[in-house]
Amino acid sequence: MKKAITRRFFFKKTSTAVIAGGAVVYGVAGVPLLKSKELLLRPPGALDEDTFLASCIKCGQCLQVCPPQVIDLAGISQGLGIGTPFIVPQQGACILCKGLPCVLACPTGALDHQISEGKEAAMGLAVLSKPETCLARKGENDILYELSRTTFETRLQALAETLTKLVPRLTFDEKKTISAELGLGNLELSGIPRIVAEMTPELFAWLKKYVAETEQTKTACRICLQTCPISSEQPIVFQAEKEANPESSKLNSVEKMRPVVQRTCVGCGVCEEKCPTTPPSITIVSRKKWQPQALKVKVQA
Amino acid sequence: MSELLISDNETVEQDQVSGENNVASGTKKLKVSKKSAKAKKRKGPGLRDVSILENPHRNKWRLIRWSFLLSVNFLFFASFYFDVQILEGSLSGSRLLGFHLADPFAALQMMLASQVFNINLIIGTTTVIIIYLLLGGRFFCSWVCPYHILAEWGETLHKYLLHKRIIKRNHVFNDRFKYFFFALFLLLSAFSGYTIFEVINPVAILSRSIVYGAGLIILWVVALLLFEIFYSRRAWCRYFCPVGVSYNLIGRIAPFKIHWNVKKCSNCKKCQRACMVPWVLKETVNMGAADYVVSGDCTRCGLCLDACEDGALSYNIRYLDKLI
Repeated sequence: MKKAITRRFFFKKTSTAVIAGGAVVYGVAGVPLLKSKELLLRPPGALDEDTFLASCIKCGQCLQVCPPQVIDLAGISQGLGIGTPFIVPQQGACILCKGLPCVLACPTGALDHQISEGKEAAMGLAVLSKPETCLARKGENDILYELSRTTFETRLQALAETLTKLVPRLTFDEKKTISAELGLGNLELSGIPRIVAEMTPELFAWLKKYVAETEQTKTACRICLQTCPISSEQPIVFQAEKEANPESSKLNSVEKMRPVVQRTCVGCGVCEEKCPTTPPSITIVSRKKWQPQALKVKVQA
Repeated sequence: MSELLISDNETVEQDQVSGENNVASGTKKLKVSKKSAKAKKRKGPGLRDVSILENPHRNKWRLIRWSFLLSVNFLFFASFYFDVQILEGSLSGSRLLGFHLADPFAALQMMLASQVFNINLIIGTTTVIIIYLLLGGRFFCSWVCPYHILAEWGETLHKYLLHKRIIKRNHVFNDRFKYFFFALFLLLSAFSGYTIFEVINPVAILSRSIVYGAGLIILWVVALLLFEIFYSRRAWCRYFCPVGVSYNLIGRIAPFKIHWNVKKCSNCKKCQRACMVPWVLKETVNMGAADYVVSGDCTRCGLCLDACEDGALSYNIRYLDKLI
């Protein structure tokens, strides 16, 4: 009997030691092992990554108040920051709402209460990661590009999005011509669902052809600047390309421009979300700081 | 209608023979409901605990508690899902009608790890500490914690499996383990600069899953539950949970406690069989250390109140009786 008791005693002590040891090992070794390699894009006002990870209480209140509902909470695949908020710009970018409700909601100051405006946020920096696909550099108009990729059968939803972009850019006469052809009273944004619903292959072909003749196609894509929530700060400046791109587009009158990211960019990610190319030519690098030298090197390269 | 209950099987049979409800038994007039007589007949004498028949309100506090727990967690869910905005956030940090609330252990880890002391967080933590000073420490566990209710059902399952001999025995750990965990994770967050425990905190994981939807990490909570069901009864809550320790420490000085009336107590120990933590009632009911259940691990769940047939246990406020 004495032996049995000793064995039970031994097992009890062993299991205790295993659990206690496991906790210590997890605590000490877990941090470097589980820490996410790639920096996630945090909501505006986030402290530097290590302090942010330490000071976020993981309550999700920023997510609850986010008007465009773009904040998500990290899971196990995002490393140790389980429950911390992050944004994937391509699925929905931060629009730098007025008053920054996420920052106001943060109970711990992990999103720094010192900032009160979108232009003060320092989430990261936009980078022209794929200059070879950038429409501005190729001197291509974004609406033409999108329409050329839209087929009548497959992408009616995309057509609605394209038309939403197109309508405000048209001149009065162009609007009139289109509405006459489509049999509408007035061409307005609210009429787009009806246009899409009543679209026929013939009308679609006509629309494609007509849009190519409109005045707005004389300018290259500038979606990144046009959609930027802080466009008044000029975070992107278009500079003329020094050398003409050999694989240029058919419309020779369109000037080839290169978007250059300026110091005022906060890295909200709207340009990445709205960029017409897939994958986006402009992407956000989380936590990146603006550097003039690095930029110059990139322009020359 | 006075409902007098019987513990004697013979009386039931007599009742059935006479075909009436009112039977003279000795000098007393007994009235037996048909239901209880039936139950008695089906189970036979001695198999069923008499107290189950005798106490018609035996689930009173349990049901009150479960509905409270579920409504609190539903309020968290509804505040986000239906945009009611009453209790926004999760159990780690939330806002009740705009007032900040923060879990003390999470806040403590966070402040140690980041050295960021935000006024909102300090207000939130203080508010929660004051709330649980009034409500009684580990009141949080049995009345609010979403893991608790799962573990409570797991405990029932564990007992059933033990009864059916599917599992051989319950493995017991040292109940001071949780204090070690509490200190360890506080130290680790101070030295590593990261709130390590929050990654594995089943309370926060579950609370977030309720409000924002579950991720893969929920498997960790499932693993804990399986460990509790098949290996060690209520292991996390009893032996490991550092969140419970923070409320345990608050609960020791909280005046809202279970009162034990020595004069009424018949020393039947039914309360101890009902209690979810084996050592909670020991000091008071076994050793008579105080009139109140003083253990910090008492969750004020009310199971002992439901179990007590003598009316010896009740919710009461310590120190208040001396003042009046």
